[in-house]
Amino acid sequence: MTSQDTTGLTAAEASAELRRTVARLFGRSLHIRTLDTGSCAACEQEIRLLAAPHYDLNRLGFFFTPAPRHADLLMVTGPMVRAFENAARKTYEAMPDPKIVVATGACALGGVYQPDPFTHGGIGGTLPVDVWIPGCPPSPLALLQGLLVAVGRLADKVKDLDFSLNGTPR
Amino acid sequence: MPLWTLRGLRRGVVTTRYPARPEPSARLLPTPPAFQPDVLTRDLADRLVAVCPSDALARDGDALVFDVGACTACGRCQAEAPEAAASSGEFELAATARAHLIKRIPLGGRPA
Repeated sequence: MTSQDTTGLTAAEASAELRRTVARLFGRSLHIRTLDTGSCAACEQEIRLLAAPHYDLNRLGFFFTPAPRHADLLMVTGPMVRAFENAARKTYEAMPDPKIVVATGACALGGVYQPDPFTHGGIGGTLPVDVWIPGCPPSPLALLQGLLVAVGRLADKVKDLDFSLNGTPR
Repeated sequence: MPLWTLRGLRRGVVTTRYPARPEPSARLLPTPPAFQPDVLTRDLADRLVAVCPSDALARDGDALVFDVGACTACGRCQAEAPEAAASSGEFELAATARAHLIKRIPLGGRPA
């Protein structure tokens, strides 16, 4: 990347700088607002389990908040039904900057529903997604890893996986 | 009181150590499949694409395109062709770009 912006940073430097800022601001305390855009509630069940004693997300500095105005991270489930699109945009706009959007579950990633008159079949076209968490539903461990990736405390591991069994004894 | 509370008290811990330590129960999770390129042929790939209920699989020429983000880990491809697909065991799948979740698996099998 060679594109220069007004601050004289290249795109790669700006992205590294943004990652450092997010880690500094959110690394130890992050408030999460969940948003259900038409999911079957399996993802909500797993998100609820994050607060249970076994996973205990508070120990990592994550907290749930009922108000988007208090939230740093929007955790979106479901395939974005068209009836909810306006509310989803308003929720996103109500959050203070900087903000992170996490697409949670196969529906939100565009896997289960195709676009049709009732649903967009994924949230990518409506909200600017920063982290994608696959799974149907994603287990609480996968959600924890996704949250830690979102704040820059764990690496994006799936980028280097090829999902082929070559060389693996069967 | 649930049994796991007593068990946790006896062992001195009820909360997982993840991410500092690996979580032992993670191996029980349903995970997306990994594919064996050596046995995948065009015919077999088309059969796998046909059984996939969530459009996670597609065939593009001599490659099987696997969208991990669309996979629901239902296991139908593993039931259809146990020699070609098996659970990957990977649950740490969060990606910072949607394109990171789309994998191309070359079809290396000889047509029968």
